[in-house]
Amino acid sequence: MMAENKREPALHETNGINRRHFLRDSIWGACLAGLGGAAAFLSAKSRSQDTVWQIDPYVCVQCGNCATYCVLEESAVKCVHAYAMCGYCKICFGFFGPEPFDITEAAENQLCPTGAIKRTFVEDPYYEYTIDESLCMGCGKCVKGCNTFGNGSLFLQVRHDRCLNCNECSIAAACPSGAFKRVPADRPYLLKMVEHA
Amino acid sequence: MIRFGYIIISIAFFLIVCGITSSVPAAPMSRQLQAQAGVERFPPPDFVESGYELPSPTTPHPRQNIYEYVDAVVLLAALGLASYLVLKKRSRRAILTLSVFSLFYFGFWRKGCVCSIGAIQNIVLSIFDRDYAVPFVVVVFFLLPLVFTLFFGRTFCAAVCPLGAVQDLVLLRPVAVPSWLESGLRLFAYAYLGAAVLFAATGSAFIICRYDPFISFFRLSGSLNILVLGGCFLLVGVFIGRPYCRFFCPYGVILRQLSRLSKWRVSITPDDCIKCRLCEDSCPFGAIKVPTAEWPARDYDKSKKRLALLLLLLPILILACAWAVSTASDLMSRTHPTVRLADRIHLEETGKEEETTDASAAFWATGKDVRELYAEASNIQAAVKTGCWLLGGFLGLVIALKLIGHSVRRTRIDYEADRAGCLACGRCFEYCPREHVRLNKDKQAVGDGE
Amino acid sequence: MKPRVAESPAPGRNNDSVEVKTTNQWYQTAFWSAVVSAVFSLIVVGFLMVNYLQIKVFDPVRAERLELLKLKIIDHPDDVLFVQIRKLDLQIRQDRIRRQNFSYRASFLLLGGLAVFVISAKLAVTFKKKPPRPQPYPDRQKEQIRQAIQARSTITVGLAVLGAAVLFFATRPVVDFSEEPPQKGVWPRFRGLGGLGISASTNVPDNWNGSTNEGILWKSKVPLPGHNSPIVWGDRVFLSGADANERQVYCFDALSGKLLWRGNVPNLAPAGAEPVEPGESTGFAAPTMVTDGRRVYAIFATGDVGCFDFSGKTVWARNLGSPDSAYGYASSLAMYRDLLLVQYDQGAAEDEKSKLIALNAFLGHTVWETRRPIPNSWTSPIVIEVSSRHQIITCGDPWVIAYDPNGAELWRADCLGADVAPSPIYAGGLVFAIEPYTKLVAIKPDGRGDVTKTHIVWSNEEGAPDICSPVSNGELIFLLTTDGLLICLQVTDGTKLWEEDLKEDFFASPSLIGDRLYLLSQKGVMFIIEAATEYKELARCELREDCHASPAFVDGRIYIRGTKNLYCIGNLD
Repeated sequence: MMAENKREPALHETNGINRRHFLRDSIWGACLAGLGGAAAFLSAKSRSQDTVWQIDPYVCVQCGNCATYCVLEESAVKCVHAYAMCGYCKICFGFFGPEPFDITEAAENQLCPTGAIKRTFVEDPYYEYTIDESLCMGCGKCVKGCNTFGNGSLFLQVRHDRCLNCNECSIAAACPSGAFKRVPADRPYLLKMVEHA
Repeated sequence: MIRFGYIIISIAFFLIVCGITSSVPAAPMSRQLQAQAGVERFPPPDFVESGYELPSPTTPHPRQNIYEYVDAVVLLAALGLASYLVLKKRSRRAILTLSVFSLFYFGFWRKGCVCSIGAIQNIVLSIFDRDYAVPFVVVVFFLLPLVFTLFFGRTFCAAVCPLGAVQDLVLLRPVAVPSWLESGLRLFAYAYLGAAVLFAATGSAFIICRYDPFISFFRLSGSLNILVLGGCFLLVGVFIGRPYCRFFCPYGVILRQLSRLSKWRVSITPDDCIKCRLCEDSCPFGAIKVPTAEWPARDYDKSKKRLALLLLLLPILILACAWAVSTASDLMSRTHPTVRLADRIHLEETGKEEETTDASAAFWATGKDVRELYAEASNIQAAVKTGCWLLGGFLGLVIALKLIGHSVRRTRIDYEADRAGCLACGRCFEYCPREHVRLNKDKQAVGDGE
Repeated sequence: MKPRVAESPAPGRNNDSVEVKTTNQWYQTAFWSAVVSAVFSLIVVGFLMVNYLQIKVFDPVRAERLELLKLKIIDHPDDVLFVQIRKLDLQIRQDRIRRQNFSYRASFLLLGGLAVFVISAKLAVTFKKKPPRPQPYPDRQKEQIRQAIQARSTITVGLAVLGAAVLFFATRPVVDFSEEPPQKGVWPRFRGLGGLGISASTNVPDNWNGSTNEGILWKSKVPLPGHNSPIVWGDRVFLSGADANERQVYCFDALSGKLLWRGNVPNLAPAGAEPVEPGESTGFAAPTMVTDGRRVYAIFATGDVGCFDFSGKTVWARNLGSPDSAYGYASSLAMYRDLLLVQYDQGAAEDEKSKLIALNAFLGHTVWETRRPIPNSWTSPIVIEVSSRHQIITCGDPWVIAYDPNGAELWRADCLGADVAPSPIYAGGLVFAIEPYTKLVAIKPDGRGDVTKTHIVWSNEEGAPDICSPVSNGELIFLLTTDGLLICLQVTDGTKLWEEDLKEDFFASPSLIGDRLYLLSQKGVMFIIEAATEYKELARCELREDCHASPAFVDGRIYIRGTKNLYCIGNLD
């Protein structure tokens, strides 16, 4: 403040208070009360559980951003298989794509760029398709094929043993259809349900 | 009269209130899965021969909730320890060790998320968005450092914040930033805080998280841009102490104001100080203020006039800045994905763009009414506009107050640790000969006592 | 204030030489380990950059090459190529994993290197730390004032930056969502938007002459015949036509009448299915198309459905099974959001073949199907909104049934009979349905379940049309029989206000445009009649061609499909 010409009363003369300190202390008290109030208010609005990110498979459009936008080198989004919905078809449109050359597992026939889908014979004419998560990169090509031509049993999900649960998920910000949602941590998956008519 | 007893009572009251309200059940989050009627083109298989059993998809769990609370406890312990080390023990080495621990735990182990700085956004979002309930631990991360700062000064910055810790560690050759420049550079932190609050409140983006320079180091992966940004900050940080903390950190802005009021903090006791001048250059962050020289008498009238002018200008400045930022509201609203989508849909609908993007194609496929989308986007734009007015007003206020602050002739007869800017790092302790005396006395006392 | 915190020692300043030596040793160690670790870190960074470049630049190039190879083998399948592809594919996969692993491990190495660097550098700095040497003060007063001035200037600079930003932002274009896109004239389905045959346009032509071509903007030949009505979206007019061998969709330019493209809908009926033979008066292309502004959809008497985008490209096609319909399948298509609604009534009621099908408009697959207890019918469904919820209204013998957009039945009323062809409408809060020759029924649509006894408001049994659907403005409802009898009834209670014999045959359903009725006779004469409580003919316009299809109305234009040509009637302005 401006140099005061008057002498301020010494602290011992005023029982340890002076104007400035009083003002400061009251503001301090107000701030503390404010923080307490904020704590109360926010606790009332808060949830005890943390939230995690998850993809709503019914909104996802399989754009391929999940593979490239994750902050991790190997995306935390992987393809998941709802076996109960699968038709176990010999010609799987998630495995082979719409126009394969031949129904073999040769590289030119497979849709998956990393070969993460494994095809196993079960019984005639059914084949089981499983996803190897260590190879899957979450590009969604198989999901697109399955949704367009098949039963839609393949879908993308955030895997929580890999996901860092960033406060702002980079994939969520880049998702064109807004399929990323915050879900409670004790129900962290939005799996597709079986709906046999 | 504020006495020690009153402080204890208020702390107790505060804790009780917290305890009661946190036991209130959290708002349940309803999750309704759309049961989409059969997209299934092929019938379910009939496994007759092989007795094949249908496997189920695996559902690995995220981090157990209990560990979140462990984080909160570690934060509390670290804050307490930091406060003790700074104010009582006054050992730079101990503070450094604690900050290494914080870097390891809150930085590399927890991957730097959720941090107190980003918690601002979660809090703001929960206030403005009814559908979002902030996790309790985030509230703790937001409030605990603020409470400790109110009592002990910026001990959070000293040894607990991982971003501060990493910058502190790379500071090798401090170069002082001239004090006149510091104030101006700090404007950016206020703008960053205001913008972060604006974007979080409108649900557009969490920009503190998006542009966190050190997060990619903590995660050991990330986009190239942020890695380079972080590298630049660290490189600059080798010479200029804690650039992010001083000029960019939005949480630091709040901590500064609370630290001004704090009960106890790193201070230079006027009675003890012998004005040896040895500590003048000890602070790499320029937080030690030197006693002022006398202001020339001829300056008195000029500065009185200047101050009066600035006080008059205060409301004008606020309004002008408010208007100025509001002109940018259209651009700011584009950070929101809905507004971007509506813009794109509008371009396609009016025929200015033929092709569709992923987002617009996804929208068209939902068959939703375009007018609904436009209404939503217009609402967001209106909210952003209001927010921009407020942001501009806030910035105007900050600028005006800074100008006024620099026009006021402060008289300082003692050496002072800047109440707001001292980061409590403890580097200055060992420069003070009186401190050496005190430490030796303590050692002697311990030695004599045996 | 000095710019540096620690300064170099004055030469010759030393303590005990032994201490200096040991300190020096430690310092040297720290210094050199800092240098080594810095160099190491830089090398690791270099490798990481190379790795990054490989991932971002080199790998996509290789992936493209793989795609090209895959394209090549479509035309020339060749063992050599197969082997090449497999090798390249394997290489790409392995490299991807390898690069990821390298990146992961190298980042730990980098972290370690940087940590060592930081520690040793800090140690080195500690050993070199000099005690402070305060210099004598310069002119502190001047310094203070200077600092204050400069501080104020800097902040003012900040303000100026804000100002510059404002200038920049103020000049950028702003998106205004309230700006309505130029309203396109649309008539997107049978009987227009909503299927009610009404439009609020006030500048529709009312005067033209087919013999002198006055008022006729253009006339284009339609290659294949069909009784479906034209649909319009902005500057595009769509029709379908078919015969026993071909099914086609036509797109005409609204301004010039030029046939822009024709799309073929293949016959996707399963092999061995009996060929469908619709009645002669129905033909193969009786159902009217529908459009949502981005694509057009058509269905034919064979059960083939085709979807085309506005440029003529086929998006999808499928067959719903050959419909068992006595006169030939004729129900027009309807749409609700992204669902294409097909009223597929067939056979006799006890056959239980009839169903309401909802197809996904974008991919063509069946989203839901609901069975209907109805024999074959020739009505088209409409989608109405009741209390902010949507209902799909369908008519058949004997039920009028309303469904919700997920296919569940909302209500049904037993009130019709015979071969139902007139489609229902919704006006004045009531759903109107017709039993041919017999009656017009008014039903309140807010019921649930069987509402026969509770929600039928009135029923007028003084005769009804057998083909044309009714039209209403909410107060008056107009019926047009095939023989030309125009009847006007009151919507509230069904009392007949007037009737007039127009002495011509009518197949096209009447339309209410503004406050005028447009009735197109089988001979191509358009009767324009005032929609009022008394009969008043306003005009009669001839077209000199037989017309069966209902016309389409948009601002300033009427599109009429004759048996051979498509006409565009417009005001020349």
